[in-house]
Amino acid sequence: MAGIAVSHLTFAFGDKPVLDNVSLEIRAGARLAILGGNGSGKTTLAHFLAGWLPDGRPHQGTVTCDGRPWTEWSLAERACAVQLVGQVPVRHLSGRAFTVREEVAFGPENLNLPISEIQARTERALAQCRLEQLAERDPFTLSGGEQQRLVIAAALALEPRFLVLDEPLTNLDPEAREHVLALLLSLPRDRAVVLLETSPDAALAFAEDFMLLDGGRITAHGSARDVLLHGCAVRTLGLPSIPRACRELGLFGELADSELPLSLDEAKELIKGAADARR
Amino acid sequence: MLVVEEISFAYPGSPPLFDHLSLKAGAGEIIAVVGRNGAGKSTFLRLLNGLLRPDRGAIFAAGTPTAKLKINEIAALVGTLFQTPEQQLFAGTAQEEVRFGPLQFGLDKDVAERRVEAALRRCGLEGSGSVHPLDLGYAERRFVALASVLVNQPRILLLDEPQRGLDRIWLGRLETIIREEREAGRAIILVCHDMDFVLRNASAVLALGAGHPRLMETGAFFRDRDLVAQASVTMPARLQLEALLADRP
Repeated sequence: MAGIAVSHLTFAFGDKPVLDNVSLEIRAGARLAILGGNGSGKTTLAHFLAGWLPDGRPHQGTVTCDGRPWTEWSLAERACAVQLVGQVPVRHLSGRAFTVREEVAFGPENLNLPISEIQARTERALAQCRLEQLAERDPFTLSGGEQQRLVIAAALALEPRFLVLDEPLTNLDPEAREHVLALLLSLPRDRAVVLLETSPDAALAFAEDFMLLDGGRITAHGSARDVLLHGCAVRTLGLPSIPRACRELGLFGELADSELPLSLDEAKELIKGAADARR
Repeated sequence: MLVVEEISFAYPGSPPLFDHLSLKAGAGEIIAVVGRNGAGKSTFLRLLNGLLRPDRGAIFAAGTPTAKLKINEIAALVGTLFQTPEQQLFAGTAQEEVRFGPLQFGLDKDVAERRVEAALRRCGLEGSGSVHPLDLGYAERRFVALASVLVNQPRILLLDEPQRGLDRIWLGRLETIIREEREAGRAIILVCHDMDFVLRNASAVLALGAGHPRLMETGAFFRDRDLVAQASVTMPARLQLEALLADRP
């Protein structure tokens, strides 16, 4: 198939099982959130999706892109197909760039693209991530949130078909978070974006399709309501902020978790409905 | 417990981040420092723990001016959980990591061992003491770093985005520890982007990047919608819902 396919993937770090018979497909245009608690296997799955694993380690099952296992892809080919932005931005910095602009250009330079193309991609990615003002700064002097935007820009400069982001919003202030979400949502629809998240709210703000990873297994797949209000998600991740606030305020006490409003608009509708019913 | 008196600070060649900033945090107080990326939240913590020194003004930790203290002497009073746990982990096992502080401070070995065990237990790491910290998962690494701070029983705790990336179970553990530390009379400074977490845990808020920063009671801060917008923080979901209920017919 065209896209990334994970089939019956089982993997352990030594004797510690991490992924257990995971199968999923990511096609062009996907806006997928994979949610899971700490230690559920999200980061390991992200590494498999992006071809960073198996890295020679034993595993069962396959991970392919366009029908070919990642191990058959050259590094340059893979870098153009998929990019992974991890949880700790400083770990993604090349260490070979003295400025933010050089860091963003590092990937395209390594693809040996024409200079005009490198410059165009670099400036575009800097603008997309609102880094123009910081372009001459040393990447290691940026704040956590600024570094996060830098590593996203460096990934975008490679124009990957699949962008895998492991908790990319946690370092960002609300304004930057809104901006990055809008940026991800505005990427051409032939690109796929996969967000791995602990926060139900971050997933809710972005995704169209949701999966829950629990103990290395995919235990739910479907809409926001199917997954975020699933008993297992509520147990491990907690409720998203609006239904949680409903519970804290004793609102809609008669409703089960799975029936609670997910957004302020849904809450407004329910309150209005209850007022209408009283009249 | 913690007194910041008229401090000013600028990075070389940059405009001032702080200009005559003052605040006081008493025993059992939890102050959340909020504001947009780059507003100086983490820099503020570095001024408090002595990794940076203010250009002007003074900081007093438990009554002592920190300008007169060496960095290790400040560390005995002010414990810091950094934003990225990897930045403060270096030992071969979680237990050695947590033991490092008490031994540096010259604690009796038996007392140190008891404290290490207790800190690991509080942080949910009883079974992980012999594991290399970087072989642990994200949340466990963060709690190794937290245990290595708590074990020294500092009177002032600085927590930089401690809630980030934690699931419900680890978040619950963190909030329990914060509550216990508050009850034990620590002054806690919390840098945080999660306003629901701030509302649940902080007694006061210091908003950076929104005019001259001043300390405000948490409820009063969130009632000042202009200030909330200037500080680029989101209104907690609970307050959004309360506003909705207040407007209902």
